[in-house]
Amino acid sequence: MANMIVASSKVPVSSAPSASPISKPKLLLPLQISVPKLPDVTKSLTLKSLSLMAATSLSLAPPSLAAEIEKAALFDFDLTLPIQAVQFLLLMVALDKLYYSPLGKFMDDRDAAIREKLGSVKDTSAEVKQLEQQGVAVMRAARAEISAALSKMKKETQAEVEVKLAEGRKKVEAELQEALNKLEQQKEETMKALDSQIANLSDQIVKKVLPL
Amino acid sequence: MNVLLCSIKTLKGLYDISGVEVGQHFYWQIGSFQVHAQVLITSWVVIAILLGSAIIAVRNPQTIPTDGQNFFEYVLEFIRDVSKTQIGEEYGPWVPFIGTMFLFIFVSNWSGALLPWKIIQLPHGELAAPTNDINTTVALALLTSVAYFYAGLTKKGLGYFGKYIQPTPILLPINILEDFTKPLSLSFRLFGNILADELVVVVLVSLVPLVVPIPVMFLGLFTSGIQALIFATLAAAYIGESMEGHH
Repeated sequence: MANMIVASSKVPVSSAPSASPISKPKLLLPLQISVPKLPDVTKSLTLKSLSLMAATSLSLAPPSLAAEIEKAALFDFDLTLPIQAVQFLLLMVALDKLYYSPLGKFMDDRDAAIREKLGSVKDTSAEVKQLEQQGVAVMRAARAEISAALSKMKKETQAEVEVKLAEGRKKVEAELQEALNKLEQQKEETMKALDSQIANLSDQIVKKVLPL
Repeated sequence: MNVLLCSIKTLKGLYDISGVEVGQHFYWQIGSFQVHAQVLITSWVVIAILLGSAIIAVRNPQTIPTDGQNFFEYVLEFIRDVSKTQIGEEYGPWVPFIGTMFLFIFVSNWSGALLPWKIIQLPHGELAAPTNDINTTVALALLTSVAYFYAGLTKKGLGYFGKYIQPTPILLPINILEDFTKPLSLSFRLFGNILADELVVVVLVSLVPLVVPIPVMFLGLFTSGIQALIFATLAAAYIGESMEGHH
């Protein structure tokens, strides 16, 4: 009956309490410590105004509500404490075996491997320098070879050109000589022809001048 | 009179929605002892999440890490970094302790905020973050105390107790007191923060069910992460402090 009264008293906010998943009687917030007094208040008020039935029902209320009031045991030490301690230690050992040690070792190994690789990379930098020097030397040799070949080729072509020049000169000289010889010959011929004409002319002059 | 009645009824209704159970436990009886079953159940879930994800992510490590492995490597480096800055060069053996401290607290706190525990109804009490219970936080804090005593004693032998009269014997009582205040502050800081965070969210949800609690929820996530980091960092700092020499 007390519950009935309480339920009826909930009517104005009925939607909210019915939505509450908490169905059991509970000791609520510190604020709610006043709740057990609620029936007393209503009792004193209802006794004056409401029916006898309500009054009698409310008079039954205190014991049932009193059962709900339980001493709040905030600092209630019991076997939970050692159990939690042991559980914690077991969890520590298990996590050490499963997590900290293996993963830590793995990470350390990886760090060591990476550091080692970095060190070896530093070593190859010397190798790279050597290779670079080799490359430079090869380039220099190639350049020298090319320049030598170039100069050789120049020399060869020069010689060839000179040979051809000399040939041409010789040819020209020969032709010149021939032409000169021809001229000489023509000159001699003309001289001979002139000689004969001179003899004729002198004969004619002599004939004309010296009358026979 | 009616107004008063109405307001009382409204409040009652709001309390019913926002019912959070502070200090209510679902007890299991083991022998003559009792345990808080809700704490154990949620911590088992947290442990299962941690172990499962670790197994999946680290099962087959690749030289070039992929998503899960990458994340777990990042977490491990973070833990190593925290241990190294607090403990020093000899941090190696303490990585599991600090790391498990951080991960367990972090996943516990976030599970309280992110996992829908309320779907599972318990006969009594309710499921929440394991760090919501003083037993868990005190257990972790006491383990921290044991850890730093162990660290100091193995490093320096009985000479470890020489630190109690340094820099001057007058400080002896304060130095002894520190050994009690350290676990106390560690456990209560975590407990209080997580409990308060969940309470604030619940109260706000009860008052304004929409939108308004969201920033507080994000703040709660932030606080949860910070608390896990603080607990792990302080534990590492205490260990480092007891290992460093007062030469």
